[in-house]
Amino acid sequence: MNYMELLGALAPEAIVVLTALVALAVDLLVLRQAPQNARQVVAVSITAVGILAAIIALSVAAPSPPWMDGLLINHSTTAFLKQTLLVLALVAGILSIQSRFTQHTGEYVTLLLLSTVGMMLLVSSDNLLLMFVALELTSLPLYVLTAFNKESPSSSEASLKYFLIGSLSAACLLFGISLLYGLSGGITWTQLATTLRAGSEPIVYLALILTLIGFAFKVAAAPFHLWAPDVYQGAPTPVAAFIASGSKIASFYMFARIFMAALPGTAGSAAWSGATPGWVPLVAALAVVSMILGNVAAIAQRSVKRLLAYSAIGHAGYALLAILSNTEQGMGSLLYYVVTYAVTAMGAFAVVNVIERDVQAPNGESLTDFAGLSRRSPLLSLCLLVFVLSLAGIPPLAGFFGKFYIFIATAQSGTSQGLIWLVMLAIGTSAISLYYYLQILKQVYVVESVGQPTPVQLRPAESACIVAMACTVLILGCAPNWLINRFSPNSTEVRRAGVITKPSTTLELAAEIHPRITAPLGTATGLVQKRPQFETTTANAQ
Amino acid sequence: MPTLPDLLFYALAGFTLLFGFLCVANPFSRNPVTSAMFLVLTIISMAGLFVLLQAFFLAAVQVLVYAGAVMVLFLFVIMLLDIKEEERRRLNKAALGIGGVAVLAIAGLLVRALVQATPLASAAGQRAEGSTKPLGRLLFTEYLLPFEILSVLLLVAMVGVILLSKKEMK
Repeated sequence: MNYMELLGALAPEAIVVLTALVALAVDLLVLRQAPQNARQVVAVSITAVGILAAIIALSVAAPSPPWMDGLLINHSTTAFLKQTLLVLALVAGILSIQSRFTQHTGEYVTLLLLSTVGMMLLVSSDNLLLMFVALELTSLPLYVLTAFNKESPSSSEASLKYFLIGSLSAACLLFGISLLYGLSGGITWTQLATTLRAGSEPIVYLALILTLIGFAFKVAAAPFHLWAPDVYQGAPTPVAAFIASGSKIASFYMFARIFMAALPGTAGSAAWSGATPGWVPLVAALAVVSMILGNVAAIAQRSVKRLLAYSAIGHAGYALLAILSNTEQGMGSLLYYVVTYAVTAMGAFAVVNVIERDVQAPNGESLTDFAGLSRRSPLLSLCLLVFVLSLAGIPPLAGFFGKFYIFIATAQSGTSQGLIWLVMLAIGTSAISLYYYLQILKQVYVVESVGQPTPVQLRPAESACIVAMACTVLILGCAPNWLINRFSPNSTEVRRAGVITKPSTTLELAAEIHPRITAPLGTATGLVQKRPQFETTTANAQ
Repeated sequence: MPTLPDLLFYALAGFTLLFGFLCVANPFSRNPVTSAMFLVLTIISMAGLFVLLQAFFLAAVQVLVYAGAVMVLFLFVIMLLDIKEEERRRLNKAALGIGGVAVLAIAGLLVRALVQATPLASAAGQRAEGSTKPLGRLLFTEYLLPFEILSVLLLVAMVGVILLSKKEMK
């Protein structure tokens, strides 16, 4: 064990922590008397430099083997996810320029970056201990960031709710993972995977449920979603955007990894006929409730931020389908889905941010503030059109392929299409969701604005970000292979830890429908056709 | 025939639960200072549990840091803010019902697990040595990374508290 090796493996995280400290020091020591706008520009510029350096460090870093007996793991998938997280953090920083929710720019940027460090570590962590610490480092800055707007009571209320519910969920998670540790005697995924089997101990199920509750809070899956609408509405919009995008990617990846890689022996089945106990039926229950409640409750919302919150709950339901498919293909489709969803949600919140600044209403924006936007800013409305249609899952945008891959992966995973009922339900709720997404577009394109339409004030950096995200959504939708291929071949660590993959049955059927789209899925499943061997960990016995 | 450590375990675990309950839902007093004092007793009972597990360092830290330093701060805050007796809140019947069902479900699962459980053949892993030296060695070698991340976490807590408690100047 070598400290330099540790620093080398964690160079990108170290760079981001340093950037956070430099931004804080510069803002508090040098720029105290400077005007607010200059401070914001300097803080975000420092952030941009640091993030760029970290992204470069990530792209040149050689993939290291599971490090220190399963403490950290670095490979091309984690590097890509970390780069995505860093870019999202930078966008959240840029969105905050010229916003009036706080005067503490240095602290804002610092907490944003430190939360990103937590997410990066979460993506890399390979055992329960590091996972929990990283999860706390992700959440704690987000609680504070939610309360940043001190003039708005709803910001403080949202933060308190988020903090209390988050602590409770952390307690549940800690209880669950302490039981897992007690049952297996190990904290790494491999140690857990080799010892835990369904049916051996009834307390395994309690551990599974408690762990699941902890993660369900983090990804805002119903019925553990109650914090989400208040936080999305009460938090400053750039913060809400970051909660909706960055923390979703990191939490879903960890959610999938802990269950797929560490607990494959306790999976069970959620097939319509012949369900067996395990975590898969539990995740299926969460997915069903999330999909129905998220999409139905969104219809009644009048605030776009609240509407996006309920839509996020619905989307969490779809992503849970990918997790319960419990295959490598499911993992690939999950990552494609959460990455594209994160970009889309960030974009939608960026547009809401502009509108909110424009309206200056004391209670935040509402759906009617978007009326006649197409005449006030054609560019902004076009971007919003792209984001909203992608969220609704309209081809050829990225959201469509995200859902498509997930549905294919889920339908294929059960034996003799036992999970097809979940896919049917998901398609049904997607159809419902179209209604409220089109409500937004109706306001933008059909309804006339009250009074004379004035052009919306857009800043160059902000509009560049929004246009870039809209283009990303469009490009990822037109060429989904590029992204999904990044994820499919190299989730090797999942296979190493023994994810049980089922032979594909509907793949041929899907390939007949559209050979080009399913080609990458074919290669993905082709890789995992052979049954994985469980590695006997000698480390455990020593 | 239960041995002495077993009896001590049940006694201390019972005290922890009892004092913990009295800390949050004391039927005799709604005074925050009383709650804080029961929290001290809870923490001390937990320190006793750590001693039974031979984690002497953790037990000492539990008493010194939590029962000592943190609780003094708690009392300072309670007295400085002059928090009066807490009012009894009107409970929401629906929330109470749903919460009750959830609690009963989890409790039922726990009881079922306890009833069906077989004594674990391999008492999970090797017994951790809890004295200061091996613990420090582990923290600074094998688990250095989580330990260092905690320092970043403390920085976040510090920045957050200063920011949230500071008065906004216009």
